[in-house]
Amino acid sequence: MAQAFIDGRPVAVLTAAAEAAKLLAASRLPLVAGLGTDVAGARAAIGLAQRIGGVVDHMHSQALLRTLEVMRQTGTMMTSQSEAALRADTVLLVGPGLAETWPELAARLLVRAPDPRFAALPRRIYWLCPGPRPGLDTAEIAIETIGASPLILPGMLAALRARIAAPPSGTLAVSNGALDKLARGINAAGFGVAVWTAELDSLAIEMLCGIVKDLNATTRFSGLPLWPGDNAMGVLEVCGWMTGLPMRTGFARGVPEHDPWRFEARRLVASGESDCVLWISAYRPLEPEWDCEVPSIVLTSANADFRRRPHVHINVGQPRRDHDGIDWLAATGTLAGFEATHKSAAISVARAIEHIEGALNGATAPPC
Amino acid sequence: VLTCIRGGHVIDPASGRDGVDDVFIGDGRIVAAPSCERHVDQTFNASGSVVMAGGIDIHSHIAGAGVNAARLLLAEQQPPNRPAAALGPGRSSFATGCRYAEMGFTTVVEPAIAPHAALQAHLELADIPIIDKAILVVLGNDDFLLRLIRAKESAAALRDYVGLTLGASRALGVKVINAGGAAAFKANVRQFSLDDVVPAYGVSSREIVKALQHAVIEAGVPHPLHVHCNNLGLPGNVETALATIAAGADVPLHLAHLQFYGYGTAGPRGFSSEAARLAEAVNASRNLTVDVGQVMFGQTVTISLDVLRQFNSRGSARPAKWLIVDGDANGFGIVPYKYRPGNFYNAIQFAVGLELFLLINNPAQVLFSTDHPNGAPFTAYPDILALLMDRNLRAEMLTRLPVEAMEMTTLASIRREYSLAEVAIMTRSAPAKVLGLADRGHLGVGARADIAVYANEVDRAKMFRAAALVFKDGELVVREGQVINAHWGRALDVRPEHDASMTRRLHRYFAERYGLTPEVIRVRDRLIERPEPFELVPCRA
Repeated sequence: MAQAFIDGRPVAVLTAAAEAAKLLAASRLPLVAGLGTDVAGARAAIGLAQRIGGVVDHMHSQALLRTLEVMRQTGTMMTSQSEAALRADTVLLVGPGLAETWPELAARLLVRAPDPRFAALPRRIYWLCPGPRPGLDTAEIAIETIGASPLILPGMLAALRARIAAPPSGTLAVSNGALDKLARGINAAGFGVAVWTAELDSLAIEMLCGIVKDLNATTRFSGLPLWPGDNAMGVLEVCGWMTGLPMRTGFARGVPEHDPWRFEARRLVASGESDCVLWISAYRPLEPEWDCEVPSIVLTSANADFRRRPHVHINVGQPRRDHDGIDWLAATGTLAGFEATHKSAAISVARAIEHIEGALNGATAPPC
Repeated sequence: VLTCIRGGHVIDPASGRDGVDDVFIGDGRIVAAPSCERHVDQTFNASGSVVMAGGIDIHSHIAGAGVNAARLLLAEQQPPNRPAAALGPGRSSFATGCRYAEMGFTTVVEPAIAPHAALQAHLELADIPIIDKAILVVLGNDDFLLRLIRAKESAAALRDYVGLTLGASRALGVKVINAGGAAAFKANVRQFSLDDVVPAYGVSSREIVKALQHAVIEAGVPHPLHVHCNNLGLPGNVETALATIAAGADVPLHLAHLQFYGYGTAGPRGFSSEAARLAEAVNASRNLTVDVGQVMFGQTVTISLDVLRQFNSRGSARPAKWLIVDGDANGFGIVPYKYRPGNFYNAIQFAVGLELFLLINNPAQVLFSTDHPNGAPFTAYPDILALLMDRNLRAEMLTRLPVEAMEMTTLASIRREYSLAEVAIMTRSAPAKVLGLADRGHLGVGARADIAVYANEVDRAKMFRAAALVFKDGELVVREGQVINAHWGRALDVRPEHDASMTRRLHRYFAERYGLTPEVIRVRDRLIERPEPFELVPCRA
């Protein structure tokens, strides 16, 4: 199978890289987006953007920034999946999408008992507003559900926070009794964790983080945000140490500048500010998320079924499958190194970008 | 290629040199003077300048998950139209290396990395140019070690676990941070001192410190256990530090950022300097080295794996936001903070640090640090050196501080001024020795050619802020305070031998706890994409 294409025609990878370099060099504001890649790929991609005065954004920036924004406005408390599994005697699940984001939620946290050294009783599990499809088989797990529709979640969280701190007030779509009981339950936690995904809106996350902080006045409670995939957290870490800033950072003025609105990939494409896109999705063949005409260089893990054929397309290997790679490991909340499960000759994102950089230098990239 | 740094005032405490001399560099090392001057290929005129070995920083938080979280927490503190790198804690890894090199520092130790976070720390360190780096790996709140101690396992088992962890995380030494305190905090303990017991484990903080201290010695690690004591920052905590010294200084021991433990409870506000008592204890303990953790006034951010301390100080966060991570083992906490000269407590903290520098007699025992960025960003070093070298400058500074605070310290009465030779001991030869780096911190033949040349200015802050010339491994990397050549340094590590049975035990533990192999957190050379990412430091036989 060919690895690289220009306008759909199979070409050598170096030819594709040279074409990509030509497009990027001619661009007013090149955009490096998607960024679904391992640490080596992220370092290469961010380094390239820095060099050519471009912009970096990740396909999950919006979701990441919802929790990150709360963190950098007010701060928060968090724990890791493994620490939650080891210690939590109380679990507060919040909102929809949890099992979809963390398929091992039930196996690694809900049906597992905490280590008896830290908690004598089985975990108590509450689920606030799971939505119509909790996404897991609740028959075997004793979960107390409070509220249903995620639409009422912000109000529920506000009422819950008030109940933790002070006598109950106000009325809600659920009986006050259920909420009172939940407040008592989480107040009684020895070590509790609140679990949420980026599906929640920022206000709900802020209220939830506030609840966690308030609970720590007397007991121990921590947050367990379930981060999006495509190594979003790994790329965030890389972006952090390379630039001092998260994604949605631009280098056009010679220094890194971060602006969640100005450097949003979709907006840059729609407004025409960016006239060339390097799109990276190495974990799955995901095509760019917009449907408009912009010259594009696409690095994906296999032949994607493109709505709009990219000008340059390079098939790259999938990190951890085709080649070794360093990825975010949610269990510990740190970066970890993984061996390839099906080592192949597919080129990595890092190597593909090295070839592009080599072409920008007017020379071929160095051999391995 | 033979290079000569000619006619500078060479200050090399290790060899006792303190006078005008030439220094020769060949093949990245210091070499003897050639038999014939014609052999010299390249000469740098250093007359009127001071020539020292490159600086060594034993305690500076420059990488790791906590540092990176602080970057993201303070992402708004980025001045527009200025290189983002110039701000406070050194925003990017790249800037960190440049700023250090410009000051003539060539080796820096990141002292607080959890074993499972070592890979990220090394990836960050690999992106810090010019300087060489090392990490200290943090143990003492981790479930595996606390279980070993609770089960009263043999000294050999502890040694093997420590050796294995050092090798897997590619660390230069071991640090313990509020031993047992983070584990206790997860059980809702809010105060934790040396003889308090970690719930569910039944081991005291003292037992953890002693066990690790001996395991580090048994493993042959040159750097003694690096201890962050309990009760950091609290009034009256001098007693904790003194008790830790009494408990631990029978064998080699390093106490980190001692300034933060120099507090008594005297005076109208129940907060006073006890630096004199602490200094006396250090002077009496030959096995003990400390670093200071000097406070300087201004905005900074505190980054610590002492999660209990960080949680308890959350109310003082400026700006008012903070992050506490109840992560595996220690976790970490980020609390931005602003030290203000008009603040009674901050003024005492400032004084305690300087008192320790000036009242500890042997500069080889009192190493230079701000606990970057906890006391101040490392970019404040030149100003601190100036204060140590000039009592008039200190007197001038004291006039800006609250009188009632200065009455709680002895600083105003201290006349001592550091000499350049003492500065060289404190920032070069002594840290090299305590870290076990035989070819650093001095200018003897065979030493690594890491050299800083400073214009000998009356304004010492100016002098140390921008080195005239800096050589790293014999290559000129800084000229007139500007980086001209940013190559990549290495990370220094020890790899003690350990019994394979401990490896198997850890594999079983990881399988049960994480459903993973510990191989995923092992730091392997090829994961760090630099030509020679590591340099082995030998263990004692």
